[in-house]
Amino acid sequence: MIEVHDLHKSFGGIHAVRGVSFVARDGEITGIIGPNGAGKTTILRLIYTVLAPDGGYTLVDGIDPHLDRRGVQRRIGVLPDVRGLYPRLTGREHIRYFGALHGMRGDALEARIDELIHTLNMEDFADRRTRGFSRGQQMKVALARALVHEPHNVLFDEPTNGLDVATSRAVRELMRGFRAEGRCVLLSSHIMHEVAALADRIVIVARGRIALQGTAEELRRATGLVDLEEIFMSATSARFEEPELLAGED
Amino acid sequence: MSTVAIVFMKEMLDNLRDRRSIAMAMIYPLIGPILLGLMITFVAGSLKVVPGRGVEILAVGADNAPDFERYLRAHGATLKPAPDDTADAVRNGAVPFVLILPKKQASPVDPIEVRLLIDASRLTSVVPIAQMMDLLHGYEREETAARLKALGVAPDVMVPLHIQQENVGRTMSLGATFLNMMPPFIIFTLFLGGIYLTLDTTSGERERGSFEPLMINPVSRSEVLTGKFCAAIVFTLWAFTVQMFSFWIMTRLVPRESLGLITLPGAARLALLLPVCLPLAFFAVAAQLVIASMTRSLKEAQTYMGLLPLVPAIAAMLLSFAPVELHSVLAAIPTFGQTVLMGQVVRGEAMSWSMISIAAFATLAVSMLLLALAFRLYEREQILFPH
Repeated sequence: MIEVHDLHKSFGGIHAVRGVSFVARDGEITGIIGPNGAGKTTILRLIYTVLAPDGGYTLVDGIDPHLDRRGVQRRIGVLPDVRGLYPRLTGREHIRYFGALHGMRGDALEARIDELIHTLNMEDFADRRTRGFSRGQQMKVALARALVHEPHNVLFDEPTNGLDVATSRAVRELMRGFRAEGRCVLLSSHIMHEVAALADRIVIVARGRIALQGTAEELRRATGLVDLEEIFMSATSARFEEPELLAGED
Repeated sequence: MSTVAIVFMKEMLDNLRDRRSIAMAMIYPLIGPILLGLMITFVAGSLKVVPGRGVEILAVGADNAPDFERYLRAHGATLKPAPDDTADAVRNGAVPFVLILPKKQASPVDPIEVRLLIDASRLTSVVPIAQMMDLLHGYEREETAARLKALGVAPDVMVPLHIQQENVGRTMSLGATFLNMMPPFIIFTLFLGGIYLTLDTTSGERERGSFEPLMINPVSRSEVLTGKFCAAIVFTLWAFTVQMFSFWIMTRLVPRESLGLITLPGAARLALLLPVCLPLAFFAVAAQLVIASMTRSLKEAQTYMGLLPLVPAIAAMLLSFAPVELHSVLAAIPTFGQTVLMGQVVRGEAMSWSMISIAAFATLAVSMLLLALAFRLYEREQILFPH
C-alpha cells in the first residue's frame, strides 16, 4: 500500500507538487492521470525515493523512506518513464545486475531471471545486447529488471508510451495480474482511456494539485458527466484548480 | 558480494565491450613509447660517427691552399668538387656543408680565407660539421706551430689554455631530453587511460537515463560511486601497465649503438614508476568524478576531463628544461611531487623512499578530499536525471 500525504515539492521556485494526498491500496490499480507537466512523474519520484519532499510524506507498506529508505526500495518495483538501458549489456544481464543489487544470488537469481523472461515473452531477445532494441523490447527489459525482486508495490510511469497495440495489451494484462495477486499497482498516464480501462481508482492531477479523485463512478457523480474524457477535460481546466471543491474523499 | 563489487563487475563487463574504452586503455598509451622510440632511433642514427670513415668534403677552390688540401687528405678526408648551386645544396640538405677557399695565398705566411656554408637547423649535419671544424682547428694549430717555429718562438707560448671538457652527468644532455619527455607521456596516460570508463559510468549513465532506475535499488550513492571509481582505477592502471610494457619493449628495439647515447630505464626502473604513479591515478579518477558531478552533459565533462592532465603535464615539460632539486616541501605539493619523482626515475637518479612517501601521502590526501567532494555532489537530487 502506498500512502501520500500533503506532498509538496519545488524546483528552483517552481512549485511542482502542491499538497497532494491519496492512497493506493493493495489489490487495486490506482491510476494517476494528468496533462503533460502536471507533476505526475515528480509524485512518483517522491514515492520511489529518488526525490525528497519539501513538505508532507509518503509511506510504502507503512514505511517512511525518511527513516528506512532501503526498506521502501525493497518493496517497490519501478518502470520509469525513461527506460535507461545499458546498450552493451544483454537483457538477461540487466535483470541479473538489478537482482544482485537486491541481494539475490546464484541459482535462485537465475531461476527468477528465466521466469521473468518467460512471463514477459523475452526468449527471442533476452541474450542480445540492448542496442537497437525496439521500444517494446526496451520496455520489457526495464520492466523485468524492476520486477526481479518480486516487489509488492509496482509503479508504472507511462508504461505504454510508444508501444504497439499488442505490447500495450500485454502490459495491461500484466497489471491486472498483479492486482489479482493482491499487489498494489500505481500507474501514471496521460491517456484517459487507458486509465479508465484499468484503474480501480483514478487520481486526476493538474498543475501540481489533485483536481479530482475516486472510482470512475464517484467521478461521474461528482461532475455530473458520464464520459471519462469529458470529466478529465473539465477537471484539468482552470475551473477545478482548487482541489477542495471536488476532491472526493473516500 | 557487496554493492561496490557488483557495480564494479558490471562496469568492467560493460566497458570491456566498449571499443572506445579499450582503445583508450590499450592503444593510446602506445603513442608515447612509439614516438620516443622513433625519435631516439632517428636522432641517434643522425649523430652516429661511423668509425674508420673520413669526412667527405665538398670544396670550392681547394687548390687555392695546397698545403691545407694536403693536410686534409692526410687526415683521411676525401675532397670532392662542390655542386654549382652551393648554398641551395646545403639548404635543401643534399650536402652537409660546403667548404670555400676563395683566394689563392699570395705567400705561405698569408692568412687562408675559409668559408664554411652550413644549415644550422639540420640535425643530420651536426656531426660532419663538427668533424670539419676539428680538421680546421687542427690545421690551424699545426700551421701556427710551424710559423712560430720559423720565427724561433716556442709554439706553446701561443696556447695559454689547455681546455678539457668532461661530462660527468649520467647522460648526454640530448639524451636527457628524451628521458625528460617520458613523464608528460605517463601523465597523459594516467589522466586519460580510464577517461572513457569514467565518462560512460558517470555522465553517460546520467545522460542515457539509467542512473535513476539504478538508484531505485536499495543501494547508496557512495557505494555505487565507489564501484565506478574502482573500475576506473583498474582501467587507468591497465593503460599505465600497457605503457610501461611498451616503453620496455621500445628500449629493447632501439638500435644498440643509439643506446650508447643515453641509458634508457630498464625493467626495474620502470617498475619503480608504479609506486610513484599510483597516487596520481587515484588523483586523476577522483578529479574526473568531481568534474562529472559538476558538469551538465557528457560532452562538457569530456572537455574538462581532457584538459585536466595539462596542469601536471605542463609542469613536467617545464621541469625537463629546468630540473629542480626535490625536497620535502616540493614533494608535498600534490601531483608535483610525482612529476619530479618520475623524472628522477627515468633519468636513473638515486631515489628516496621518504620523498616517494611524502609525495604519495600528499596526493592521496587531496584525492580523498576530491572523492569526498564527488560523493557530496552526487547526493544532489538533480544529478540522477538527464539534463
